[in-house]
This record gives sequence, C-alpha cells and structure tokens, in this order.
Amino acid sequence: MTSLKALSTSVGSKFLVALTGLSLVGFLIAHLIGNLLLLAGPDTFNAYGHALISNPLVIPAEFGLLGLLLLHIYKALRHVLLGRRARPHRYTMRQWAGGPSRKSWSSTTMAVSGVILLIFLVTHIATFKFGPYYPSADEGVRDLSRLVQEVFSSPGYVVFYVVAMGIIGMHLRHGISSAFQSLGLMTPGWTSAVLSVGLGLAVILAGGFALIPVWVYLFL
Amino acid sequence: MNVHLKVWRQAGPAAPGGLVDYTATGVSADMSFLEMLDSVNETLIARGEDPIAFASDCREGICGTFGVMVDGRPHGPDPCTTVCQLHMRRYNDGDTIVIEPWQARAFPLIKDLVVDRTAFDTIIQAGGYTSVNTGGAQDANAILIPKTVADEAMDSAQCIGCGACVAGCKNASAALFTSAKITHLSLLPQGQMEAPTRVVAMIEAMDTSGFGGCSNEGECEAVCPKGISLKNIATMNREYRKALFANR
Amino acid sequence: MTLDPKIPSGPLSDKWDRHRFDSKLVSPANRRKHTVIIVGTGLAGASAAASLGELGYNVLSFCIHDSPRRAHSIAAQGGINAAKNYQNDGDSIYRLFYDTIKGGDYRSREANVYRLAQTSVNIIDQCVAQGVPFAREYGGQLDNRSFGGAQVSRTFYARGQTGQQLLLGAYQSMMRQVAKGSVTMFAQREMLDVVLIDGKARGIICRNLVTGQLERYVADAVCLATGGYGTAYYLSTNAINSNVTAAWRAHKRGAYFANPCFTQIHPTCIPVSGDDQSKLTLMSESLRNDGRVWVPKNAGDKRPASEIPEAERDYYLERKYPSFGNLVPRDVASRNSKAVCDEGRGVGDSGLAVFLDFQNAIDRLGHATVAGRYGNLFDMYKKITDEDPYTVPMRIYPAIHYTMGGLWVDYNLMSTVPGLHVLGEANFSDHGANRLGASALMQGLADGYFVIPYTLAHYIASTPVEKATTDHAAFAESEDNVQSRIDRLLSVKGSKTPRALHRELGHLLWDEVGMSRTEAGLKRALARIPELREEFWQNVSVPGDANNLNKNLEYAGRVADYLEFGELLALDALHRTESCGGHFREESQTPDGEAKRDDDHFAYAAAWEFQGVGKTHELHKEQFVFENVKPTQRSYK
Repeated sequence: MTSLKALSTSVGSKFLVALTGLSLVGFLIAHLIGNLLLLAGPDTFNAYGHALISNPLVIPAEFGLLGLLLLHIYKALRHVLLGRRARPHRYTMRQWAGGPSRKSWSSTTMAVSGVILLIFLVTHIATFKFGPYYPSADEGVRDLSRLVQEVFSSPGYVVFYVVAMGIIGMHLRHGISSAFQSLGLMTPGWTSAVLSVGLGLAVILAGGFALIPVWVYLFL
Repeated sequence: MNVHLKVWRQAGPAAPGGLVDYTATGVSADMSFLEMLDSVNETLIARGEDPIAFASDCREGICGTFGVMVDGRPHGPDPCTTVCQLHMRRYNDGDTIVIEPWQARAFPLIKDLVVDRTAFDTIIQAGGYTSVNTGGAQDANAILIPKTVADEAMDSAQCIGCGACVAGCKNASAALFTSAKITHLSLLPQGQMEAPTRVVAMIEAMDTSGFGGCSNEGECEAVCPKGISLKNIATMNREYRKALFANR
Repeated sequence: MTLDPKIPSGPLSDKWDRHRFDSKLVSPANRRKHTVIIVGTGLAGASAAASLGELGYNVLSFCIHDSPRRAHSIAAQGGINAAKNYQNDGDSIYRLFYDTIKGGDYRSREANVYRLAQTSVNIIDQCVAQGVPFAREYGGQLDNRSFGGAQVSRTFYARGQTGQQLLLGAYQSMMRQVAKGSVTMFAQREMLDVVLIDGKARGIICRNLVTGQLERYVADAVCLATGGYGTAYYLSTNAINSNVTAAWRAHKRGAYFANPCFTQIHPTCIPVSGDDQSKLTLMSESLRNDGRVWVPKNAGDKRPASEIPEAERDYYLERKYPSFGNLVPRDVASRNSKAVCDEGRGVGDSGLAVFLDFQNAIDRLGHATVAGRYGNLFDMYKKITDEDPYTVPMRIYPAIHYTMGGLWVDYNLMSTVPGLHVLGEANFSDHGANRLGASALMQGLADGYFVIPYTLAHYIASTPVEKATTDHAAFAESEDNVQSRIDRLLSVKGSKTPRALHRELGHLLWDEVGMSRTEAGLKRALARIPELREEFWQNVSVPGDANNLNKNLEYAGRVADYLEFGELLALDALHRTESCGGHFREESQTPDGEAKRDDDHFAYAAAWEFQGVGKTHELHKEQFVFENVKPTQRSYK
C-alpha cells in the first residue's frame, strides 16, 4: 500500500489531523513566546518583529503553515462529514455516557470551534499583518507595538480576542491529547500524563494569548 | 409496578419509523429488561397485534445479540452491563423509558429494534484471524506467553460484537470493535506474523463498510458492556503506524 | 433396519488411525467440485466449516443468528478438557476416555469416546495457534484446573468465557475461509427441512428470516450442528433461539433420534424467581471447586444464612460423598439438591434453592484470589439477584443445561439418512447418559476440526451421487411441505401466545421428565402432550405475515416442534426403566437413593424411528459392547 493511500483511511487521515494539529500547536507556542515580548517594551517587540520578517525563510514558513492549516482543515472536515454520513438517522434521545468517557463540550464542538478559529485567523491576519503600516523611529522597522496598542484600545476588540482565545483553549483541550491518541502514542502508562499535559498546554496557550490584549488595554 | 415505554417501531428499512407508546404493567423488580419487553409482546400477540421485533439470544450478556438505546444510551444506564442483564429493579413505578435501535449506516435497520450487523463479520473477514489451517499446530506449550500478556489479550478478546460502541459514537465508528481484535492478536506471538497486513486490511474494511472515523472521545469505552478500553484504539493506531513503515 | 455403528476393528487405541487409513480420500483438485451444507455455526459447525473450507470443499454455512459468532457455544463458561497431562498429575488419553465413559454411566460407545480423548490434545494445540487467549501461568505455560469432579487438572480455560474464546477462534477461522471464497455464509436462515434425493441427504430448505422467503440449497452432503433440545423445557440455561427444529425435521425425514431422555440438569444455576422468567442463568461449575454446598439441618429453617450456626448446617455433599465432596458429577449434585429441597430444607423464598458458600474460600484464599477466580461470575450473580456473593452465600438450583441425547450417528458421525451427518450436541454419541464438565466444548471441536474432515471425505469419495439442482421434484415437495406448515401457523389466529403454550409444555416436562421420573408421571406427560399440541394448533396466535422478520412466527414453528418432540422425550424416559446418568427413574435406585443401572436390559442406545405425528415411534437398539472398560456402579463416595 502506498503511503498516500494509507494516509487516506480513517486512521491515516487522523494521523494527518494530529500531525498538522501538533505542528500548529508548536507554532502557537513560538508565537506566544514572541508576543510576550510586548511586555518587555515596544522596542524589543518591534526588533523581534523586524528580525522575523527580514528572515528569508519567513515566506516559505508562512506557506508551510498555510499548507498545514489547509490540510488540517480538509482532513478534519472530511472526518466530520464521514461521521455525519455514517449516521443518517439521528436518535430521538441522546445522553452522554459519562464514566471513563473523554467526551466534553470541548470535544463535541471541535468543528464549530475550528470554524470560528478560522474566521478569527482571517481577521487576525488582516488586522495585524495587513493592517496599517506605522514606521518606527528605526529606519525600515515597522512599529507593530503601536498597532497592537491601537487595536487593543477598543474594549470590543479586547473582548473579541479574549473570547477567541477561550475558543482556542477549548479546541486544544481536546485536540492535543486527541492527537497523541490518534498517533498511537497514548500508551497505558502515559495516558493520564498526556491528558493533563494537553489540558495544561491548552490553558497556558489560551491564557497567555488572552493576557496580551487585556494587559495592553489596561496598562499601555 | 408499571413503566411507560416509547419504543421505536419501523416496519422495514424503507418504511417510516417513530416512537410508539406502550405501558408495561405488573412489572416485577426481578424481571430483566427483556422479560419486561416479552410481557409487552405477550399482550400484543394475544390481541393479534404485531409484536415489537427485537432479537435476543443468550440473555446473559455474552452473545451480543440484543442491543438497544435505552434513554439515549447504548445498553441503558448501568456501566459494564448489557441491556439483557439490566433488571427492572433499576426503575421505579411510573418511569418512562425510551427504546431505540442502533442507528448507523453500516447497521441498516431490519425491523423495529433489529439491525443488521453483518459489517462486523466483514471486518473480521478482512484479517481478524491467524492464518493457521486445522491440523499441524505445534504443541500448545511450545508457545510461551507471559500471564500478563495473556490477560491483556483476553481483555481485548472478550468483545461480544454487540455494536454498542458504534451506536454510542457520534461518528458511528467501529474503531473500538476493530481495534479490540487487532489488539488481541497483535499482543500474542501467534498474531505477530500477520500484524502489519491485518491492521491495514481491517481498517480498510471498517472504512468501506460505512463506519465513521474515531474522534477520540471515548464514548465507546464508557458504553461498552465488556469494558473494552480506549487503549485498544491507541494500539490499533500504533500498529497502523508501524505497518506503514514496515511496508516500505 | 439394523443399526450399524461402523466401529473399526482392532485395538481401541488403533481404531481411529486405522480408520483414517482405510477411509477414502478426495483429491485436492476435486474437492471444490463438492458442495457441503453445514447448518449451525457453534463450535461444531464453525470448526467444521473452517476445516472443510481449508481443505477446499465448497462449503455453505447457515445460522439462525445475525452473525455466526452468536451461536450458543459462546455462553459456555468453565473450560475445555484435554488429556495433555501438562500438570503431571497422572492424566492420559486412556484416563480421559475412562472418565468420560464412566461419567456417562456406560451408555456411550467406547470407540467414539476414545477418539474424543485422542483428539482432545490436538484441539488445544489448534486453538492456541489460532490465538485463543487461554489462562497462563506466570512462567508462560498454559494453566489448568480441575473441573466437575475430575481428579486431575485437565481443564483449559479463558476466564469464565472459554466457550466465547473457542467459538471466536473457530468463527475467525471460518471468516478467513469466507474471505477466501471457500465458505459461503448464510446468516439469518432457519433450516426447516432436509431434502432427500434417492434416499440421500442432498439439500435443505431454509427460511430467510429477514425476507421470509423460503430458499433451496443443494449439496453433496449435509451436516447438522444445530445443538441440543434443552429449550423444550422452556426454562433452561440454553439461549432463546436454541431449538430442536432442525434435528426434529431431519428426524421426520428418517434420521433416528437416540436417547432423548438423557438430559443434563446442571446443579449450579440461579434459582427461578418468577413466572415471567424467560431463561435460567448458569453459574459455572468451577464455583464448586471453592464453594461449599449446604442447607439448614432442619426443615423449614428460614433464617438468613449468616444466622445459621455451623452446627446447624448440613454440607450434604461433603457428608455423603467424602472423597468427591462438592465436586461430584452434575447428575449426582443435582439430584441431591432436589432431595434436600423435597425434604423442606431448601432456602430462599421459593424453597427451591441451596446455598453455595464462599466464606471458607475467602477466609482461606483471601478476597482478591476469590475475585480473580470467580469475579465475573459473582458480578453476574449480583446483577441478576441483587445479592453480593462475597458476603451472602449464593443460592443455586439445578436447571436443564445440556442434552446428551440427539440424532443417532455411527462412528463416522453419519445419521441413518445417508449423507446426513450430525455434529456436536445435536448428535447422541459421546457423553452417554451424563456429560462431564468441560467436555461439551471438547466434543464440538473434536467433531468439527478433527473427525468430520476425514469421515465426510470418505462418504463423498465412496458414494456417487446423481447430479441434482434445486429444480428437482424433491425440493418442490419439501418446500411445499414447509410452506403449508407456515401457512397453517398463520391461519389459526387464536388467542394463546406460543410462549404461553411453550411454558405449559416446559413445566410439564420439568415436573414429569425432569430430575426424577416415574412411570405414572411419564404416562401423565404422554397423555397431556397431545392435548397441548391440539390446543396449539387450535388456538395459537401468530400475528403478522410470513414475508418479513417475524420472530413470533419463528418461535411458533419451534414450539410446534417441541410439542411433537416432547412426546418422544417422555416415551424414551418411560421405556428406559433403569436409572442412569441424567435419567433417574425412582423405581430404579439403590437402597441409599443412588441411581441403579440395569446393564442386562439397557446397555444400548435407544434409537427411535419416526412413524408420524402422534404415532408411537419404532425402537431400534444399538447394543453397547464394552471391550475395554467394565461397567461398574458409579460411586463417588
């Protein structure tokens, strides 16, 4: 069997969802660390931003991320649609099983949270990457810090961001540990550790990202 | 006691279906759920009406024949209990119970509460065995298997093929059923030889039978009357990953 | 017709080898040209289908369930015997043979039983190779336990689900052949007639239980592996769909029915709780390894078990049978339970139960060990009774569990209809008047894996059959016959349910043809059964149509057959005035109440020939010749 075909089965598809998902989580971790430089002052943040975009690898990296994202979305949506198709008639009454089940609001809303995050992502990139260009004191360096401060001076925007980060947290709460399960990495001895790390990471990422608009709004 | 039932009635696969109200009267606490349904049917038959179609056999939780959604949960409220082992002492006088058949594209409905689970046989046919012909087997003790491994294999092997995992899964996925057999055989030396081909073939059969994929929610484990663990699915995924590399 | 058991000549231990050598073979290239029908997918049917499929025959396999994996073999709990002598405790093929013959109270054929013991060792090898997860020792070797009164540990087991694991092994092997195309599976089919062409079994008529259509299948030979007839008693440990129909219809086509009165009553079942009960649940016999059976010493003592002091308890099995104690064979244990209950010493609300107490075992072995051995059984008991066996003794009572009688077969497992082979519990061959624990699984698999592949080949190779299709007049005649019976069931439109009539028959059989039988009682049964049959055909209610899934119609057809079969059961019990094994005639007992055989007059298999419904069957005898063991009065004292 070719690898391509192997990756199109239900299990193979979930490998890809998991791998792309975990890669995006890796990106988020890096992104958060970078963004937290805002707390270190506008100059540091701007210098970081400048260094990032002047790297010749940034364009391929961005396309790479876009590719990962599209693959993640495609495979995940296909998974959801297959699931829908596998049950043409719904039950009149349905209960969650409880007990050892890992079903949660987070796990049941993965598709919805994913779609919301996609909309958020488009707004987010439009707002910042393709937002107004403010030059900084340094020649050729964009004053991203000012842009961030302007954007987050609007309470509506802050609330939108915090809510979006909550949704990211929801998505990751199921997503991270689920990826490990999909990849067959959830061995019995590690199950509870993986579940806790998944939850912890989701909280840290969502909390860290949500902290920035709040902090900017309150203190800058 | 008396209990009110809302039972899914559907004359055939193409016929319209819906919940129909019945009242089971004179139900005793020692009656099993099936005996309660029997009593409803006895009344219907004596009146010359078509009884509720359901299939049951051993009625002791091992054959896997009878399985229905009870109040929106496969096999009803008790963990690790088939609905044939559910007793009416679990209910109170005047309770209402909603009974529906398994719903899945891969389990087409035959009539009322009876569905066709041939898809499970199809999955086993794809590789749920060791390729040994009768005769010619070596002495049984020539294969040493640590007790812990044998016990673990048995944990997976005790799946009864009832289909509750499919019924309880939002994707109607057969991942738990399929992975239980894959795990059982992959744990044992006898099953090693064919492990890579088995996992690939069984997963393909599962997909083509019309089951959905696994969302790792674990509802299947929670509703499995035999407590088959979600770790079987992790093992299946691992075996699949190994098979991809082994094939190259 | 004289019954020829076709026992090979020569010394006992060489018979099977010699027979296999003398048997004709079908060459590999020719096998796919031969079609074999196998009805039933339990241990015997599934193992036969898999093995014959592997050999290359064109196998058509039929079952009444939605999947072959649901056959009732799946419910067997305790284990499977094999003369492996892994425990070095003195077991051997000869000992297993001897124990089985003796346990069967000398009412089985030596040659068959010896072959069973011989093949037992291959079964375990085969199952392990399939990946059956038998229990293991810490060193990785197979674990064994002593079971059902055996004084050696020769029972292999997979928790309390041995039947399930063995069946799934056979089922998986069969599914492998389905994938290869050598076995074609027909699930949801009920065999309703055997079709004879030229006096030979050449096909079957089935009802497709989903569409209701009658279907015809033609083959070179037919194998029935359709199980026992315990459900005739209504309440039994058998599954709801287990039935006598296939065997009975074959009987009506000329297959003799042997020893139907040899029914096994299992001593450790959960007692009956009410009139609505649909089936009884067995608690594995292995429980008697550590559980102690007792009742109060005084009749009418209704105190809870915990309030009855040690001195006022009667551990009657340990008292009466010091060397076997709680592990006496099933028939002895069952009769003793009945006896103490008849004395008014039974426990529980109904007074029809005895205690099976684990307090001693828990004190001796610890809670964890007991839970490890019997945890799943205790859980099952608690689910059903709402009582916790760890703290309150179990209540148990005997129930119909297995039937040793069945269609008469010769050494080749062929019935009196040429080409019609009968395997597993459906035949009468190996267990005599009483089956030992953990021997049913052994027999089913022996027949399917290791006997029928040879004997069927011999039949096919040595019996030319004319080319036939399902257009043959015999198929039409047979189908009409089946159709008219179905039409008749639907046309009665009475007011009594098949279940009500079945329950009535069952109670009658349990009372008069149950654990202990008398001439008067059997005559009462023989008088009453035709009345019940008459009532059935006058007043049964079968709503709905025949053209779709109609469970009640299926059931009604089976009840109609029980109502014919029950009469033969009682007749056989009446004619056998001795007591032996599971058949206890009150007129024939020793002074201390044990079963008393009459070898001078009854050392034969009673094979009954059908003469018409309501007409007395004709008796044919197959005399048992004991060349190797000397029948003695069984003693477990």
